Amino acid sequence: MAWEYSEKTRRIFTAAVHGEPGTHMGEIDNPDGFGEHGSIVCGDALRFTFRVLQHPTDPVQDVITDARYLTFGCTSAIAASEALCSLIVQGRYTPIGALKITNQDIVKFLDGLPSQKIHCSVMGAEALEAAVFNWAQKRGVDLEKIGVHLKDKGEDEGRIVCKCFTLTEPYIRRKIKELNLRTIADITGAIKAGGACGSCHHAPGGLQDLLDETWGKNGSQPTPEPVSAAASATTEVSPFQLYRKIEKTIAENIRPALQADGGDIEIVDVKDTKVYCRLSGACAGCPGANATLKLMVERTLKEAVDEKLKVIAL
Amino acid sequence: MKLIYADNNATTPIAPEVAAVMQPFLTDQFFNPSSAYDQARRVSDALKEARKDMAALLGGINPGLITFTSCATESNNWAITGVARANPQRRHIITTAVEHPAVLEVCKDLVRQGYEVTFLPVDRSGQLDLKEYVRALRADTLLVTIMHANNETGVIFPIAELARLAHETDPAIVFHTDATQSLGKIPFDLKTEFGHVDLLSCSGHKLHAPKGVGALYIKRGVPIRPLLIGGHQENGRRAGTENVPHIVAFGRACRLAAEHMTGEDHIRALRDRLETALEEKIPYLEINGRGAPRLPNTLNLACHYIEGESILYELNAQGICASSGSACTSGSLEASHVLKAMNIPFTAMHGSVRFSLSRYNTPDEIERLIEIFPEIVARLRRISPYWDITKNAPRPTAPKG
Repeated sequence: MAWEYSEKTRRIFTAAVHGEPGTHMGEIDNPDGFGEHGSIVCGDALRFTFRVLQHPTDPVQDVITDARYLTFGCTSAIAASEALCSLIVQGRYTPIGALKITNQDIVKFLDGLPSQKIHCSVMGAEALEAAVFNWAQKRGVDLEKIGVHLKDKGEDEGRIVCKCFTLTEPYIRRKIKELNLRTIADITGAIKAGGACGSCHHAPGGLQDLLDETWGKNGSQPTPEPVSAAASATTEVSPFQLYRKIEKTIAENIRPALQADGGDIEIVDVKDTKVYCRLSGACAGCPGANATLKLMVERTLKEAVDEKLKVIAL
Repeated sequence: MKLIYADNNATTPIAPEVAAVMQPFLTDQFFNPSSAYDQARRVSDALKEARKDMAALLGGINPGLITFTSCATESNNWAITGVARANPQRRHIITTAVEHPAVLEVCKDLVRQGYEVTFLPVDRSGQLDLKEYVRALRADTLLVTIMHANNETGVIFPIAELARLAHETDPAIVFHTDATQSLGKIPFDLKTEFGHVDLLSCSGHKLHAPKGVGALYIKRGVPIRPLLIGGHQENGRRAGTENVPHIVAFGRACRLAAEHMTGEDHIRALRDRLETALEEKIPYLEINGRGAPRLPNTLNLACHYIEGESILYELNAQGICASSGSACTSGSLEASHVLKAMNIPFTAMHGSVRFSLSRYNTPDEIERLIEIFPEIVARLRRISPYWDITKNAPRPTAPKG
């Protein structure tokens, strides 16, 4: 797929990857706040750290002076990480103030993102929340008490709806509301849920159900159900007695001769009157192997078992 | 900055000789080859010559067995649905998990219509298990459709043997192969070695002809219904006025490919040099399809702990065109179905890059790639949360693939 990134996204990505001055790639040793989001399995992950200038008496008034990231991901994931850190450092935010930065701010900073890449900006906001939570613990700030309601990981634990990206029901419900997601396509674009196997789209308690429960039945457009191809290989089972006879003949009359020459024979399958065999060992590389099978094995089987038998060499 | 084009499995540059030979048919040689006057005869002669050139490349077959189409996707759609409609009694199809979507999606569509399809798996090196293939053959098997060479990894399937096994099991089974990636890259002969192949799809733009032309080889006597009806063209097999300029171009491209095929070892040498050098310089690198027979021009790599789209972006910034099976480049959120079927470690799944060369690539270009690519990988690993720069190795905490 061709890139549809804005000029600014491209510029920020290139500057970040080349570690140009003023960019924020890296990691702070003994950070004041540390948060992670995503996983290598999903295709992107972010490790976010920040340093604060501590206020002498009131930790709530700490100011973030530096923010750094390490990102595994595509062009937009790296650009979004850089955008997040730039916004935070430029804004001289307190950690709690930084929580006001939304994924929309990141998208705006990048002059927009393709809809399929919106999840890259959401990842930054998630890592930031985790880092602020970490900072609060370290500085002894009771976020609940001062009215900051953080959705830490604990709250999002619950039934897993999207198994491909391990996303839980509470998390998806929260994101549907926060990001005003109206369709399954919106959900997939924003947080990846339902983007791989698609089995959670219309399953009971799946994405469509969560959308309907949030917005009402008509609040969202139903998306057509993808039909998954059933891979089935029902192999015909040949009559048991025939197979036993063939096996016995090969074991007693054919295999010893082959083994004497350092080779062996394997019955791969028997279908109808066709016997599929594969020579192994010294016989496998022998140019006469095919002829050996055809002549010796087929003749022996015809005589001992059934005149109609046909040998096919693999 | 000089462009290095290393994405020839996606499409190829048009050969100058090909562009020249099609030129008159875009201007004064515009006549309908079916018309009765002398001028039209010259156009229909050009079509005949193109068909002969392709027949020669396919091993000297009867040119009348070739039907030109608009692209390999059309050829694949036609082969599969045309065989299904010609023999509605049989309802089972065998294919592989790593086919091009132009085969895979058609098969999945037939599943929706009640067909049973066996999607054969591949192993870690991208190869099929012949035993599983044999076990999948059934009394009601209609069609086997298996690609000759994989577009992503270049892994070559043993088509001659697969086709023989199908026909020895049941001569009524139709064997189709999508040879889009192999035509012109490796020699094969439909008269001898590939004698059991019934249908073969191919495309012009993968061998230095323009986009917009493909072909389907149909062995004499193979039951298949046409896709397009309403005209006598192509012996009634495909209605519609022939795309003369492109067919002429395709024919010439086939002739050139036959001439160059002896020189394709030049391409293999370049690919092998690139593969060896990159492997030496880059730790934690997977060569996808290693151990399997592969097209001489294709190198599919996977770099652990970084993401393919960022690699492509960085390559492109230095004038290099390549492609990736990463989820982020696919337009969906899924990584390549081919690499997934091969069970590539998940830490490398998203970091795949495909270099595919052609006769127009030079040793100098390969040396530039060898210089640039490891730097890009190192840069992106510096930014990866799973990588320890000081040790140039994954962090101890990084997930293991």
